[in-house]
Amino acid sequence: MTKINYKNIYYPPGGILMWLIIFLELITFGIALIALVINSKENSDLFHQSRLILNPSFGAINTVFLLTSGFFMATTVHQFKLNNVKKSSFYLKLTMLGGFMFLILKSVEYFIKLKEGFSIDYNSFFTFYWLLTGFHVIHVMVGLTILFVINKSLKKGSLSVEDIEASAAFWHMCDLIWLLLFPILYLIF
Amino acid sequence: MRKKDIITLVLLISATLFTAALSVNSDDLKYLVFVILIASGIKFSLIAFQFMELKKAHTFWKTALICFLVIFFGVVSIIVFY
Repeated sequence: MTKINYKNIYYPPGGILMWLIIFLELITFGIALIALVINSKENSDLFHQSRLILNPSFGAINTVFLLTSGFFMATTVHQFKLNNVKKSSFYLKLTMLGGFMFLILKSVEYFIKLKEGFSIDYNSFFTFYWLLTGFHVIHVMVGLTILFVINKSLKKGSLSVEDIEASAAFWHMCDLIWLLLFPILYLIF
Repeated sequence: MRKKDIITLVLLISATLFTAALSVNSDDLKYLVFVILIASGIKFSLIAFQFMELKKAHTFWKTALICFLVIFFGVVSIIVFY
């Protein structure tokens, strides 16, 4: 296994292209969240009442699912670097399980909100809620697809450290985005 | 499993449950918002530096991430407070 010099500016863990994507995503979600906070100043009562409609328990449990999944992803990479392919594959499956649990709980939350009539056009808070969490869910789905493909390659033995690190970086990016969304949508208004 | 990763996970989950409990059990959120945002910033850094191993990367990447964090949470705090 080749040793990567992470101190080189062109080789951050996960690769330079993945980190450029991570920063672009963080900036995009960041701007949208700042727009949401600015909007909340004009309709503070509406945002407070709307925030109370959301269930913070769903948000907190989903955060725990993603954080635990991220922990298993970090362990997957570590085991892969130690050449423990079987253990690496096992932890990768646990990572994917965390992602699936997140999506299941998110679907339940979406179902409840739609049933109660809080759809995307209910008010400006829910427009932001549906757009931001919806785009995040798409990222989680893409991440899970990447992890599924990576798991197949892992079993075949056709995977490099760079591949698994880039996939891990994408998966952790979903955690980072969620850590921006969770406090602002579920907690601060 | 690495001990540091396990400690990081415990800290992350504790901070999540703490901020959620704080938000649910408080009527006046004005000043607690600051605590919630700082806790979120710490969680964000723990994932980036420990799980994503950014601590091993070139200073440029570490500085860029910290700059993003400071600008984002700084702007949000200023808007919320004023």
